[in-house]
Order: sequence, then C-alpha cells, then structure tokens
Amino acid sequence: MARRTERMQRLASRAVQIGFLLALFVLWYLATNVWDVNHLLLPNPVAVWQQFLDVLRSGAYLPDLRVTASEFVAAFALAITSGSIVGYFVSRSRYLIRVFEPLFAGIFSVPIILFLPLYVLFFGLGMESKIALGATISFFPITLATIAGFGNVDRTLVTAARSMGASDYQMFRYVLVPAALPVIMGGLRIGFTIALLSILGSETIASLAGLGHHIVELAEDMDMSRMFAYIVFVVAMVALLNFAVSYLEARGRRHR
Amino acid sequence: MSLAQTPHPSTAHPASADPGLDSRRRRNERRAAPIRAFLLRHPGVVRLGVVILILLVWEIAARWFMDPLFISPPSRVFSSLGALWDTSGVPAALRITFFELAVAFAISVAIGLVVGLAIGLQPFARRSLMPIVLLAYGLPQITILPLFILFFGIGPASKIAFGVTHGVFPIVITIVAGVQNLKPILLTSARSMGASRWQTFRYVIFPHMIPSFFAGMRLGMSGVLLGVLLAELYVSTAGIGYFTQMFTENFDPTKLFGLITTLAAMAILLNEIVRRAENRFSRWR
Amino acid sequence: MSAGNVAVCIKNVSHQFGEAGEAQHVRALADTSLDIARGELLCLIGPSGCGKSTLLNIVGGLLPPTAGSVEVSGRALRGPVPREISFVFQESALFPWNTVIDNVRLGMLFQGVAQAERDKRAKRALEAVGLADFADHYPGQLSGGMRQRAALARALSLETGILLMDEPFGALDEQTRMILGEDLSVLLARAEKTIVFVTHSLGEAVFLADRVAVFSARPGTIKKIIDVDEPHPRKPSFVTSEKFTALRNELYALLHDEIRKAVLESASARGGDGRGNG
Repeated sequence: MARRTERMQRLASRAVQIGFLLALFVLWYLATNVWDVNHLLLPNPVAVWQQFLDVLRSGAYLPDLRVTASEFVAAFALAITSGSIVGYFVSRSRYLIRVFEPLFAGIFSVPIILFLPLYVLFFGLGMESKIALGATISFFPITLATIAGFGNVDRTLVTAARSMGASDYQMFRYVLVPAALPVIMGGLRIGFTIALLSILGSETIASLAGLGHHIVELAEDMDMSRMFAYIVFVVAMVALLNFAVSYLEARGRRHR
Repeated sequence: MSLAQTPHPSTAHPASADPGLDSRRRRNERRAAPIRAFLLRHPGVVRLGVVILILLVWEIAARWFMDPLFISPPSRVFSSLGALWDTSGVPAALRITFFELAVAFAISVAIGLVVGLAIGLQPFARRSLMPIVLLAYGLPQITILPLFILFFGIGPASKIAFGVTHGVFPIVITIVAGVQNLKPILLTSARSMGASRWQTFRYVIFPHMIPSFFAGMRLGMSGVLLGVLLAELYVSTAGIGYFTQMFTENFDPTKLFGLITTLAAMAILLNEIVRRAENRFSRWR
Repeated sequence: MSAGNVAVCIKNVSHQFGEAGEAQHVRALADTSLDIARGELLCLIGPSGCGKSTLLNIVGGLLPPTAGSVEVSGRALRGPVPREISFVFQESALFPWNTVIDNVRLGMLFQGVAQAERDKRAKRALEAVGLADFADHYPGQLSGGMRQRAALARALSLETGILLMDEPFGALDEQTRMILGEDLSVLLARAEKTIVFVTHSLGEAVFLADRVAVFSARPGTIKKIIDVDEPHPRKPSFVTSEKFTALRNELYALLHDEIRKAVLESASARGGDGRGNG
C-alpha cells in the first residue's frame, strides 16, 4: 500500500509540473489570440514558433553565434589558465592563502559586471572588451576553487606518498592533482556558467555583435516574435551546454 | 546525594599539540627581524600592502605610460569624486539606484519567504514545484532584460522587477533546503511531547530555519545587486546607464571610474550588512 | 499482576514496514504480548533489527502497530500521550538553537504547563541530573554525556508516570555509560516511574532492570523474561557480585545465537543480488 501511494504521488507531482507548464502555454495562447493583449508586448506563440523555425533553417543565427561562442571560449580559456596557475601557486603556502583568499573572495562579492563600461572605454565595443571582462569575472571562482582544492589535500596522502619516495613532479601529478580535482571541477563549472552569462550580459549592454546584442536589436526594432524566437534559441543553447557539461561531469565522476 | 558530572573542555583549542614547538616557534620569531615576524602574524596587513601595491602600479602606469583618454590614475579619480557627485543628475541617479536595490531586496525577501515556506513545508508541493523553481533559476535571465524594459519602461519599475527575479530564487531555494535538513528526530521529539502543529512550526521548524533564511538573504542580495545594476547599465537614456554612456562617449575615465567605484562601494556596504545579520542570527550553528 | 498495577498492557502486537512482496518489506516485530507493571524498570534487549525500538515507539504512541493493541493505564492507545509518557531518544533530540534550560522549558510548554511552574520544574530537573551550572549553555557546547543528561532532565520535568528510553547511552563511550548508568539508578530509585529501557548492553540491562525481556532475531518476539531481584538504588558493588555475573551469563547464552542469526541475515541481505547492489 505504501509503495502504491509512493508511485501515485510521484505521478501526481509529474502531473502538476506538466500541468503548470501547459497552463502557461495555454495562457500565452489565450492572451494573444483571444484576449487581445497588445502584440507589441506579447507576440503570438504561433508567430514565435514560425520565426524560430525560420531562424534555424536560414542559419541567421550563425554569425552572432560565432561571435558569442568565440568570446566565450577565449574568456573561459584565459580564466582557466590564469586561475589555475595563480590558484596553485597561492595554495603552496598557508600564509599566501591567508593573504590572498579573502582578497579574491572579497572582490568576487561585488558584481564585477559593473566594470563593463571601463572595459568598453579601454578596449572598445568589440570582442576584446567582452573577452577581457568575461575572463576577469570567471577568474575568481576558478582561482578560489583551485586554492581550496590544492589547499585541502589530505596531508595523510601526501605523507604516505613521500614515505614511498615520490618526487615533486610525481607528487603533483599522482597525488595533488587527483585529490584536488573534484573541488577544482566545481569551480570550473561555476566559472563556466559565469563566463557565459557575463558574455551574454555584456553583449546586451554594450556591443556591436553577438547573440545578446542581436536580441537587443530586435527589441529596438520591436520585432517581438523574432526576438522571442532568439530568446528561445539562446535559452535552448545554454540548456544544451549545461546538459553537456553535466553529462561530462557525471562521466568523470563515475571513473573515480 | 549529588551526582558526578563529566567535566568537558569548552570549545577552546590548545595552541598546539606540542607545547615545546610553540615556545621554540616563538623564540625563532623573536630572533627573526621584528618586521618580518609582525607581517607573518598579520596577513591582513600584507593584504592591504598588496592592494596598495596594485594601486601604485595603476597610478604610475596611468600617469606616465598610458593614454589619459582610456585610463585614469587613482589619485585623480579620488580627487574628482567631489566633482562627480556635483555633476547634475549623478546624486539623483545614485539615490534612485539605492532605492531600487532596497525595494527589490524587500520584495524578494517577502516573496521568497512566503513561497519558500509554502513549498518547503508541504512535501507534495515541494516535490512538484521545486523542479520548476530550479528550472526557472537555471534560465539565463539576461536574455530577457530587453523584455523587462519593454514591459516596465525605463524607470525604476523595470530595474526593481529585474532585481526581484534575480533575488527571489536563491531565497526560495535556501529556505526549502533549510526546512528539508531538519533532523526528523527533532520533529518526533516534539510530537512525543504533545506539540501542536502551530507549536511545532513556531518552536521547531522556524528557529531551525532562521540561519538558512539569512544565508538565503545573503545570496538574494547578490542576486538583487546583479539584477538591478545590469538593468541600470542597460538603460542608457536615464539613471546610471545614462552617465556611464556619457562618460564613455566623452572619454572621461576619471568620472567613469569614480561612478563605478561609488556603486561598488554601495554593493560592498549592502553585502556587508546582510553578511553581519547572518552571522548574528546563526550563532547556534 | 493485578489489573490496577499494570501500567502498560501489550496485546499481540506485531508490526511490519511496507507490503508483503515489496523490496522494502520488513517484518519488524512478531506477535508480542507483555504486561509492564507500574513502577518497574523493564529492559528490552536483543540483536540489531529485532524490533525492540519499534516496540518502544508503538508503546509510546508514535507508531500504530499493524496488528494488536496497547493499553496504557487501562485506556487504549491512539497516539502520543504527552501527559503520561515521555521519551529519551538515542540521538540528541535537544533543539540546538535553544539553551539547555530553554529546551527543558519547551517540553513543558508543549505539554501545557503554566510558565511559573515550568521554570520551577526546569531548575529542579537540571539540578537532579547535575547540569544546574550549564543551564545557559547550548547543546553544541556540551559533551555527549551531558547532552543526554539534559535530554533526561527534559523528560523528567514532564513528570509523566511512564518513561521510555531508546538506547539513551548508545552513542556514548563505555566510561560515560558506566557513570550515567549509576546516576540513573540513583535518580530513578527516588522517582517511582515505570520505565522501559532499550539497550544493547548486557551489563547495562542487568544493572538497571527489574526485569529483562530478551528478544529473538528478526522478526522479533520475546524469547524469555529474566527477573533481576536486587533492590534499588543499585550499588557499584553489584556489578562485581556473583549474582550479577550469573544473570549476565544467562543473558549472554540467550542472546548469542540470536545475535549470530541477525548478523548472518543482514550480511546476506547486503550481499544481495550478487551484482554488488546491497
């Protein structure tokens, strides 16, 4: 009896979730087709869908996607390299950790996107400013996680390896890195998301190209259905990326 | 007949497991240069030193090596702060931004608390609705910033709304998690002592949840800061965004940096307030 | 045992978790009947999983049995009876956000005691367990032994006729258990309560109990009840006496096979389907 009610409850929860999402869609449809909500505020879902398909088929998203993707890759790569190196060298000394960790944590507590206008002033409206800002913002969680990862390696493991004659390089490769990896991966995950969001954000606020910028353009043209289509596209892209990363993470974890 | 007590050392920790090491270390420190010893004991001072060093490098680079159109030394930024705040419209923009932050935070907390408790206390609601909350939380909200401006206009309403959508999710999620990790034995114990449903909420669930609530508020404040400031920067026809745009177009890095520093200081202040509140109310944890 | 002297009457109680045929199905307790006399200290002892904690929760009204019934002071049991039954649990059930004395006061608040009386009883209970100096400490600042003393103080302050204790010293080290056991015996000699005490420890059972109910392996039922005829409060010298050793040996003989059975069963359940999913 208990098991049957458990299964029924799970089904009921699913039903509520699906029902909720369906209700949203139905409301959206009704609002535009029956209740005459202003089409300049809320486009017809059918029109949005058609625009979405058009965007996909025509490949209109490609140039902007290329811009956003390159900015993201460059920013994230910069952040990973600088973050892991700085993080590792700080982690080597308890004293350095005590000096720098609060500093990094403190800077990170401010929304660094605030500095976007300065980056734009210095680098211009092009890709460089987005890459620089994305790298700057993403640097901090990666560095902090690297410091935490290497700094909290179980001393017993280090002692054991040293007692077996491990060289410095072997210690690094076979003890420190595997031990620190889970925490560092967590930081990379956060850095990944933050870099992506900051790129999209800076494109929205001050840019000449990229997916974020395109959405703003469409908003300024009041091309609502196409704008919604692009929003759906970007959300889908981000979701796909997150899925891919989660999948890789899970696979990596299974091998531990 | 009094009963024996098992004495228990308080939570104070001994200086080290080896008292000899302590005195040896102290002797070594005294022998080393007194300055070095002082610095070793006070990393905060070194940290300050690092910050000052960075400011110095920036000062030198900006003054003699870089184009004053693009970068301004900190000394100039600092001395021009007064001029910045006298610039017509800037104090008003700053005040409105602060107002937006406060209102967005208050609304986020109110909605977050109510929704968080409603979902957290009812297991069925939690199982059905939490996945939806998490789904919404994972969406890149920045993509709909232009929509918010279209819907709510360029005034404070859109900034507040965007701040609320960023701030409300961490609060709901933290509160639900807080209610979740209440040890079942505590509920059983209350039930065994005859607590009514209201008493269980008031004396068991609610006090347990307070630290999580404050942690959620800390995250919520970060979210609100992000949302409001993003919206402000986006709108270039009024508010902060107008001035950042103007200072950028006029190649006035001094005023631009001054403005941003002021906003950063505001953010730090607000974050600090919430953080202190959290520490005060989580002492039993 | 005359009817007026029976505090708790357990009639053919059995309990299972989950439905027959399901993965989570557990027959925790087989047909068990027992009369608990007013004022006696009864120990329930048995191998892991034999259902003694389940029986305790049923007697306390926290768990309705799947079969059978329980009567407390002549009335059928339908739920917790905070005015007559109080608990001490194994894990710390003190509210960590309240001080020790607030924890004690809170129990009485739930029970419905007036405020002045709450303060009076709380102070008295903390003195009885020796924690008067720690009234304003938080549970997180106390050792395990002191936390359980506080839990005991809370239960005592409720001034119920029946006290149910579920391995209250289970999480403590042997030396603390010894001290607390002696102190408990002194305390309860004065208190005149009916106490049901679940334990794993043979020595603890013999030292504290008037009667010891020995359980078989799962599904548990009472295998035998042993009488311990020794006046309260039990002195430390009792532990080294011949009577104590004989009783303890008797318990050991009864339990040893049951314990082996229980370990075998849990090991096979864990080895499980051979796929390493246990």
